[in-house]
Amino acid sequence: MSTVEKTESTEKTGKKEKSSLFDETGRRLLREIWPLRGWILLLAVFCLLLIGCAVAVPELLGAEIDRLYDWARTRTPGLARSLLPGLGLLLGIYALQGAVTYGKWYLLHNVISRFFCAGFRIRLSEKLRRLPVSYMDKTPAGDVIDRMMDDVSDMSDSIYGIVEILLSGFLQMIVIAVILFLTDWRMAIPVVLLAPLSVLLSARMAGLGEKHWDNHYELGGKLTGLAEEAYTNYPTTKAFNREEEVQNRYDELSRRHQRSGALGYFFSSIVQPVIAFVDSLAYIAVAVLGGWLVLRQGVPIGAVVTVILFARQFSEPLEHIAFGLGYNQHMKGAAKRVFTLLDLPEEQDPEGSAEGPARGRVEFRHVDFSYDPKKPLIRDLNMEVEPGRKVAIVGPTGAGKTTIVNLLMRFYDISAGQILVDGQDVSGLSRAGNRDLFAMVLQDTWLFKGTVAENVAYGSPGASREDVEKACDWAYCDHFIRRLPQGYDTVISEDSTAVSSGQKQLLTIARALLADRPLLILDEATSNVDTRTELLIQKAMDHLMSGRTCFIIAHRLSTIVDADLILVLRDGRIVEQGTHASLLAEQGFYYELFRSQYAI
Amino acid sequence: MRKLLSYLKPYRGRIALATLLMAISAGCDLLLPTLMSDVLDKGVYGAAEADTFGYILKTAAWMLGISLVSLASVCGGYWVVYRVIAGYTQSLRSALFRKVHSMTLEEVGKIGTSNLVTRSTHDVSTFTDVIAMLCGSILIIPLMFLGGVFLCMRKDVFLSLVILCAVPLLIGAGMLMSKKIERLWEVSDEYCDRQNDLVRERLRGIRVIRAFNREQQAHEKITDATRTMADNIIRANVRMEIIDPAAAFVLNGAALLVVFLGGLRMERGSGLTAGDVFAVIQYIGIILGAIVSVSYDIVMLPHVRVAVRRLSQITESTGLEDDRPARGLTFSGAVDLDHVSFTYPGGSLPALSDVDLHIRPGEWVSVIGGTGSGKTTLAELLLAFRAPTEGTIRFDGLDAAALSPKDIRNNVSCSLQKSMLYAGTVAENLRMGKPDASDAELWDALEKAQVADFIREQPEGLDFRLEPAGTNVSGGQKQRIAIARALLKDAPLYIFDDSFSALDFLTEAKVRRAMNESLAGKTRIVITQRVVSAMHSDRIFVLADGVLVGAGTHAELLESCSIYREIYLSQTGGAVA
Repeated sequence: MSTVEKTESTEKTGKKEKSSLFDETGRRLLREIWPLRGWILLLAVFCLLLIGCAVAVPELLGAEIDRLYDWARTRTPGLARSLLPGLGLLLGIYALQGAVTYGKWYLLHNVISRFFCAGFRIRLSEKLRRLPVSYMDKTPAGDVIDRMMDDVSDMSDSIYGIVEILLSGFLQMIVIAVILFLTDWRMAIPVVLLAPLSVLLSARMAGLGEKHWDNHYELGGKLTGLAEEAYTNYPTTKAFNREEEVQNRYDELSRRHQRSGALGYFFSSIVQPVIAFVDSLAYIAVAVLGGWLVLRQGVPIGAVVTVILFARQFSEPLEHIAFGLGYNQHMKGAAKRVFTLLDLPEEQDPEGSAEGPARGRVEFRHVDFSYDPKKPLIRDLNMEVEPGRKVAIVGPTGAGKTTIVNLLMRFYDISAGQILVDGQDVSGLSRAGNRDLFAMVLQDTWLFKGTVAENVAYGSPGASREDVEKACDWAYCDHFIRRLPQGYDTVISEDSTAVSSGQKQLLTIARALLADRPLLILDEATSNVDTRTELLIQKAMDHLMSGRTCFIIAHRLSTIVDADLILVLRDGRIVEQGTHASLLAEQGFYYELFRSQYAI
Repeated sequence: MRKLLSYLKPYRGRIALATLLMAISAGCDLLLPTLMSDVLDKGVYGAAEADTFGYILKTAAWMLGISLVSLASVCGGYWVVYRVIAGYTQSLRSALFRKVHSMTLEEVGKIGTSNLVTRSTHDVSTFTDVIAMLCGSILIIPLMFLGGVFLCMRKDVFLSLVILCAVPLLIGAGMLMSKKIERLWEVSDEYCDRQNDLVRERLRGIRVIRAFNREQQAHEKITDATRTMADNIIRANVRMEIIDPAAAFVLNGAALLVVFLGGLRMERGSGLTAGDVFAVIQYIGIILGAIVSVSYDIVMLPHVRVAVRRLSQITESTGLEDDRPARGLTFSGAVDLDHVSFTYPGGSLPALSDVDLHIRPGEWVSVIGGTGSGKTTLAELLLAFRAPTEGTIRFDGLDAAALSPKDIRNNVSCSLQKSMLYAGTVAENLRMGKPDASDAELWDALEKAQVADFIREQPEGLDFRLEPAGTNVSGGQKQRIAIARALLKDAPLYIFDDSFSALDFLTEAKVRRAMNESLAGKTRIVITQRVVSAMHSDRIFVLADGVLVGAGTHAELLESCSIYREIYLSQTGGAVA
């Protein structure tokens, strides 16, 4: 799924015409890299050293080979001995080269992984803290994870690009080009002229490959989705005897997936041979030209050897440059997605705190709210809830019962009106201060990976082990927790099978009990729980509710009938409010809803 | 492994062709330095030849030709290789997919859906990527290596010994290193997963985290994981970067040794020329390239071992479903369970024990029970996904064990737990049970399932596209579309397993009413844990811990069955009379 989303956004960035290195995203990327300039400067020094070695080696080696050729003509004795000083020097240079190469990579990995990637990931995590809940609701987790992990990784290639392409690559090519011209300008011309051709051709290949790769990944995501669907739907497929159809759809997608993969592989693989081919063109040109120059112009044969050796060094960075250029789009697409997330508007948070101990009186005054400005949901909602009273929120599935939770907890902000707790307008409170008033037990039991005790104490970090055990005892958890392998220290998580879904629910009740807040939000739905646990949950919830102002997303009739106030929701709007008796008397939607339970 | 490779058989010819093309290209690449040294030796120094420059030109022309052949053959080689790999991957995937669909539900459950998905996607790619690598680079690299060594030998055996000594040294060190790096990568992968999990956990729990003001802690946890991951990645990468410079140093050193020894041998008059020495040095470059490539590829191999092991688990699986062909039977809708018991393999307690129930054609029955009562097991038995461990199930008096599962399923229409939909249009999903249904029939079914309004609101109507597993519609909409699909299929027996759980009571009542009308005369089995869904049916069966504890109408059960009464009271608070 995440792959699909990712390619969607790649498409968006892909739409704009040829992006240059220095468009908006490119400049921003450079700005982000700017703080790392000290390290990059150090890397530049390493690169220069390496280029120095790269320049010295062919020169020196050429000279040594020259001695061999000279000897062939002159046959003066002592050849091997005369070679020694040069070879020793070369060995030293090779050692230096190895050490500096290693140092360069060591530094580069540190800069990329520690300073750049980890830095961005931490900034993104920090950003998540300030984003409104609405963002999380709209965005699949996979999308955020992709940006945080893969996109940041892809972005870091920009540093690699700067070091490997700009510093190492271009610098090396320039220096070598100068030396080539100094050695013999006539032989230098074909080498230098053919380089752009090679870059152009191979960047084109890399670009073509990139396009197919994107396609391949997109289809890969779809294929995974299809496999996932097919395997989960296995019983339905079988029940309808549709195995062949499912198989054909899978095969067809798999065929397209593989086709794009083959093309991607192909174009990526031939970049190197294409460069090698252009290389050999240069090689041949140098051989012909060099031969002619030696024969007719008396140029020393060592010069030809040097040029040939340099020509190889000259073309070495080309492959990186070609890939870098082909990859440019991809990298900037990733950077763009990361920047978009970093630039999202943040939630405003005032700094007020509650006055005095809370009693739990809640009042809604002319509250308006909508998720989408075009579709007003709640209009002019008024209600008063005295401390210790119970409000039942009822309505068909999808009617927006959680909206009230979202507003009370300030996960979303109301668009007009006021919500008051103990007479104080909550918009003057910090969100944290507001939330400190409430405890929540949601249907979607959220447990994090940690011990049972840590999970129960989540809302009350200072709680002692006794407090935790007491709360668990009250919430009917103690007996099953003690039967877990490590008791309260058993590590559980969201998809842990050690505890059943009903038991998870009980744990969240214990968590709310321990947090001990004056107001309570409860979601009653208890599907997939056996009758016995269901009874325990009910009893635990009763404990929890006593003495607190409660907002209950009610499913049990007994809760509804006993409630002090019932809010009836339909299509996200509060259509009726009152007590069970008054609503039945109205013979409205609530009446219909209530009646439907026994209708044939 | 052998089984996995057997799918490569049809490609033998093409693999040979690719190898040949690659070999040609490698050969060409190796010839170039030889020709170059010829140019220098014979062309430039060879005053013996009359037309020296002509010789240079001729050799250059050869070099050009060889380069072209090399380029053409390497491109052709790669093209063939990747086509073969694509075809191979595809047939492997297809075979795995087919195999999964021929496995029993038991086997599918044992391996696990997410494992099956990883196996069919990620593991297949890992495996075939390596095959691609083997066919592509690894095929060329030994060729380059051996060719390089051979040509060196031809120039001078003694000088070649230098290379031959250096190479095993390098390969050994590389392999030793790759083991260590492999471990480091595993560790950093673990941290990467940990980080993913933390972010996912945080996003999922955003409401609880904010409710309890624990954003700071959540952020710190991620920060820690990020830092640890970075440390591990750096450590793994840095170890990897030793290979390159070290290999370069050893081989460059070897090249220097070659120059020195070459000089020594030339002096002693062994017939060695300066061009030969130069050529050997260039071969060392080629060999160096080959070794460095191999050292990177070797790191992949342990991954492959894991992938192969996991793939084999599917290909070697023996838990296959009965695949007798359908005989085209039509049932009347009578279902009998004669003292049926079922125990899951390895389970100590039976999921169903001695269930004896008989359903008449046209009857509407409900099976009610809590989680773990054995309801879904019952549905799976009826659909022939599992066979009873004791007792018999009969359709029209015929023993289900003697029937093809296809025949049974042709006679049953169902909507199962979790309402499984498929990526594709609503119409395609609905037509699964009745491929030739007209649009009017589709609308009628949607209408009955109370979801026609929603579909009508979509601009595409019946062609509204559902995402894989129906993620772009709500749980209630999914259930209703699945109900419509079940209603559309014409069958004597209808099974609804937990199919109304996401519907509010009002909608459910409407669906029920529509069903009463359209399923009149058909056998209907409703499996549920909601009393409201069951209370109106002709007969209700109450399951508790796999035992049938009550059977009868709602009124009878309220009287006679304490468990039914308990369920009823807990769900309705007794308010429903």
